[in-house]
Amino acid sequence: MSTEQNGAPAEAAPKPTEAPKEALAETPKQTATNQNEKPSKDAKSGAESKADKAEPKSSDAAGDKKLTGAELKAKAKADKAARRAQQKTSKEVAKGEAAVSSSPGQLGPSAGEVKAKGGKGKDGALAAAAAGRPVLLKAPPSAVVTEQKIQIPECFSHLSMARRIPMTQADKDVHPSVLMLGQQMATFTIDESITRLKATMLAFRKVIESYITPPGNVLARHFTPHVLNIQIEYLTACRPMCFSMGNAIRWLKLQVSKIDMDASEEQAKKELCQTIDIFIAERITVADEYITEQGAKHIKDGDIVLAYGRNTLVEKAILYAHSTGTKFSVLIVDDPYEQLGQQLAKTLTDEGIKVTYSGDFGGLRNHMRHATKVFFAAEAMFSNGAMYARAGACDVAMTAYELGKKVITLCETINITERVATDSLTYNEIDPERSSAAAFRLMFDATPDKYISLLVTELGSVQARSAPDLLRKLEEFN
Amino acid sequence: MANVQDGAVTRDLTLRGSNHVDAESFDIVATYHRLLKEDPDLTMPMAAIEALIEFLGHSQVKTVYETIDLVKTQSEKLQAAVRNPIALSHGTDLFSQYLIMSLKQPAASSASGTGAASSKHSPPLDNPHESFEVVRQHLLRNSRLFATRAKNARERIAVNGRKHLHDNTTILTMGGSRVVGNLLGRAAAKHDYGWYTDPPRRFRVLYAVDPALEAESNSVVESLRAQGIQVATIPFTALAYAMGKVDKVIVGAEAVTANGGIISSMGTYSLAVLAKASRKPLYVAAEQHKFGKTFPVDQTDFSFDQHVINFYSNNNKDTKGKEVSMPDPIDFTPPELIEAFFADHKVLTPDEVAKEVIDMLM
Repeated sequence: MSTEQNGAPAEAAPKPTEAPKEALAETPKQTATNQNEKPSKDAKSGAESKADKAEPKSSDAAGDKKLTGAELKAKAKADKAARRAQQKTSKEVAKGEAAVSSSPGQLGPSAGEVKAKGGKGKDGALAAAAAGRPVLLKAPPSAVVTEQKIQIPECFSHLSMARRIPMTQADKDVHPSVLMLGQQMATFTIDESITRLKATMLAFRKVIESYITPPGNVLARHFTPHVLNIQIEYLTACRPMCFSMGNAIRWLKLQVSKIDMDASEEQAKKELCQTIDIFIAERITVADEYITEQGAKHIKDGDIVLAYGRNTLVEKAILYAHSTGTKFSVLIVDDPYEQLGQQLAKTLTDEGIKVTYSGDFGGLRNHMRHATKVFFAAEAMFSNGAMYARAGACDVAMTAYELGKKVITLCETINITERVATDSLTYNEIDPERSSAAAFRLMFDATPDKYISLLVTELGSVQARSAPDLLRKLEEFN
Repeated sequence: MANVQDGAVTRDLTLRGSNHVDAESFDIVATYHRLLKEDPDLTMPMAAIEALIEFLGHSQVKTVYETIDLVKTQSEKLQAAVRNPIALSHGTDLFSQYLIMSLKQPAASSASGTGAASSKHSPPLDNPHESFEVVRQHLLRNSRLFATRAKNARERIAVNGRKHLHDNTTILTMGGSRVVGNLLGRAAAKHDYGWYTDPPRRFRVLYAVDPALEAESNSVVESLRAQGIQVATIPFTALAYAMGKVDKVIVGAEAVTANGGIISSMGTYSLAVLAKASRKPLYVAAEQHKFGKTFPVDQTDFSFDQHVINFYSNNNKDTKGKEVSMPDPIDFTPPELIEAFFADHKVLTPDEVAKEVIDMLM
């Protein structure tokens, strides 16, 4: 509750919305009914209050039976107010942190402007379920007001999460293509690091195309602070940027600043679009092709390849190896929370590859014993060689290491960050769809370099701890 | 009109055709094998580089990209012609990297050998074709330079390595490596640094003889004994038994991989594992030109199948199980088992090797 104390006074002032008023009005009652003072503190009362909120009148929870209807109503209101106030503060803190960590200097206006609204959550959950993310770990549907309910302890307040921002709440200068992309990212329709990067670059290309320099300004000076940053802020608010996006945006800003001041606007825009095209071709398209081929080379006849969850790059490599006539089978161990491995299994079996599927980590060691190689695709690589990947990857890698199996990681160099992570908590993201009031789930983990045998990038195959050397090499190219 | 055009076309065609005939009639595989045969001291990567230079001498192409492309196809041809192309590919990779780097550098003619691969970036010349011609002429004039440098490299390894050999120690080695033989032989003699004369080292050599490499091993053993070094030979099976008497292990390598491991004659890995188990440091004597981008993750992760392991029983009439194993089989020794490399430019750890490979070749 310390977050409340720290954050509330500052945050209450600029936003005189409904919630604070309620909170003020109800405080006396709240203090009167002492038992309800901090309802969200433990899970049980939290769940109760959810039920209350959904159907306040017909609530028949055992503990509340003795209360009269009016008391019930009052209690429900108090709960709601307290919850709102607290969420707001914790959210603001989280948001502030996110803005600071991902793009310093953009904290100012956006922190207050873009804000998720309550009541959107249910639709969001449904949409997400429709979009292929099975809804797990969820209490009764009435309580699924997703992100609104999540209580993040202060020690994790530096972690941010995706949230759906109503289009109407976005800054008016956010480009339509970026608006759409933001929604897709918030709902995890576009999920993988490299896919997000590509979509972002294409959206920014559209932004550049439709940009018109205001009179008295120069593109190189005006575009980044007044146009690009707004798009970035919005995207970051929808879902925290992945490392590759950070890298690419830094690159893009550099390219913008390099534009010749005397060049005509048409010329400048054309050049920028071309550099973006080349960037996508070199760092994503061709890189993917090369990594696919190189990764496939490590699959030999008779291998049993273990894949964790689904990743496009791993899928491509397996399909490529199959297309070259290698005889091998695949063992898919799936992330129990997000069973995208089923998709992979379908794709592979359609191609005639023998697939064994395990929906969770049950019998992982036993599966690993049968496997010969483990394939991962990294969300990002840290400079100390740690791999940032889907939560659970580290467990799989450690099991592989213990049993002497080789772990092969596929990763485009754009995903390599100069940052260092020795644990999974410094950099991570909270899963907005599978977190409850009582617990929240992290989406990624960091696998130390010693568990990774090989890192395949478009520059070549290296050991994981050579990741910073690749970064240095890339700088030489530029 | 038509005649003139025809004439022009045919002239063009013949010109081009002649180039291609030259390039095609040149048998890079035969050249490679001839070079290896002519000079028994030549290593595989060096022979590959020399063969490519000879090929450049035969081709008349004028453009940079065409040349790089041709060198690439010839390299592939060469790699396809031998069963174990690892060492060879390290040579061809180095050479194409050298070509690309030289063409990027204005002072192409001053660039030399393996050193040129150090990646300095500078804008390409206004006329890359001119610079290309310079590089080409330089290469052709100094075609033997690579081989000479390679032989000098062996001497430099001996100088770098002797600092790590101490009196009254026992050195274990195997495999008939020429680099190791030279290193041990030179260390047993005094060395004149110019400002200081290093006294000879007094050490003993324990030589594990692999029956498959008996001839090479015996010649190295004989030459060491002739230089006054006490040598004991043991069968390969006695390695673990003898390990207690050993202070250091030194082996050669066919190729050095991108992670700082080595690809070497079959048995080196066993030796390395035994050395590690007895906590004896394992050193590898290898020239820098053997470094390459190969990165095997395990013993079978090569582009070719050695057919070393063949299961079959007498009941099974299937001849598939009786495939002949590859001559000169190799194995991969991972970097964790290696203490350090004695290379021609310096003594370095496996991690530094990995870094150099990235800097040099990627």
